[in-house]
Amino acid sequence: MIELDLAAPLDRHRATVLPEWIDWNGHMNVGFYVVAFDKATDTLCEQFGCSWDYTREKIGMTFVLEAHVTYDREVKQGDPLRITSQILDHDARRLHFIHAMYHATEGYLASTNELMLMNIDYATRRAAPWPDFAMERIEKLAAAHKALPRPKQAGRLIGIRKK
Amino acid sequence: MLDSLPYELPELVTRAPLDIHRSTVLPEWVDWNGHMNVAFYVLAFDQASGAFMRNMGLGRPYVDGKLGMTFVLETHVTYDREMRQGAPMRFVTQLLERDAKRVHLYHEMFHAAEGYLAATNEVIVMNIDYATRRSARWPAPVAERLETLWQAHKNLKRPAKAGRVMGLAKT
Repeated sequence: MIELDLAAPLDRHRATVLPEWIDWNGHMNVGFYVVAFDKATDTLCEQFGCSWDYTREKIGMTFVLEAHVTYDREVKQGDPLRITSQILDHDARRLHFIHAMYHATEGYLASTNELMLMNIDYATRRAAPWPDFAMERIEKLAAAHKALPRPKQAGRLIGIRKK
Repeated sequence: MLDSLPYELPELVTRAPLDIHRSTVLPEWVDWNGHMNVAFYVLAFDQASGAFMRNMGLGRPYVDGKLGMTFVLETHVTYDREMRQGAPMRFVTQLLERDAKRVHLYHEMFHAAEGYLAATNEVIVMNIDYATRRSARWPAPVAERLETLWQAHKNLKRPAKAGRVMGLAKT
């Protein structure tokens, strides 16, 4: 496993907006924001040993149960992205966290993605407790992230506010 | 606000809920877990939102004519069951709320052959002026269609999965 990075929030993921992520409005399509965020989830899961190796070795998988995205600003083809990740909560088999996507050079917030992730047993494809090696690291990451302010985009209820 | 649209609008469907979109899980939507990846549920739902907008008169000619666009502001997805490559999808859409510039939609995705609920998606979509790329009021014929659809949808039961706040329930 890679060395644990206890920077809060986790700030390791970088990406670039690919040509095939652009839609007829000339910006990154809503679905591809989630493609970009899902790769940042892999970067987070790598921290506690539950990324590609975990599935390739047929140990387990992680499934997303729920996702909430706020689209704050447009990004265009070729734009560099920086995605940070903050753990909000966890239990024996789930992890609740939020990503923030920034334009890496201009610095503005482009989007946020709150997620609920569940550990899955490879053989049964059903929910299972995090392996000990993962839980130990999740506890450390959660402790490191605990002092961070809760982002205002977390826990949002979707709706049209009545004016 | 645009008073009219310079192209022919499709016949308005006012079924409650709407049941006008079908799709199939493409090979490139499948990830290393052997099922449709989370992001492509969002893409599939976005196409269902596109079908809703076409019904309102805001299809491709709206963008190609440089009149306007629609942008998603926010989306919330529940992943209820896995979908594999080639699975046929059926979407059901309910208009939950509307105002002068926005709609609040709720989609359900079903496996079209097996019938199970695969996912739900709540989404806020806003009308955008093409030139300024800023929010704008719905074109008049669209506002009229939305109102007609609203009359058909307003008394539908509010879906149990709408209005969720994410969190680990403490048990």
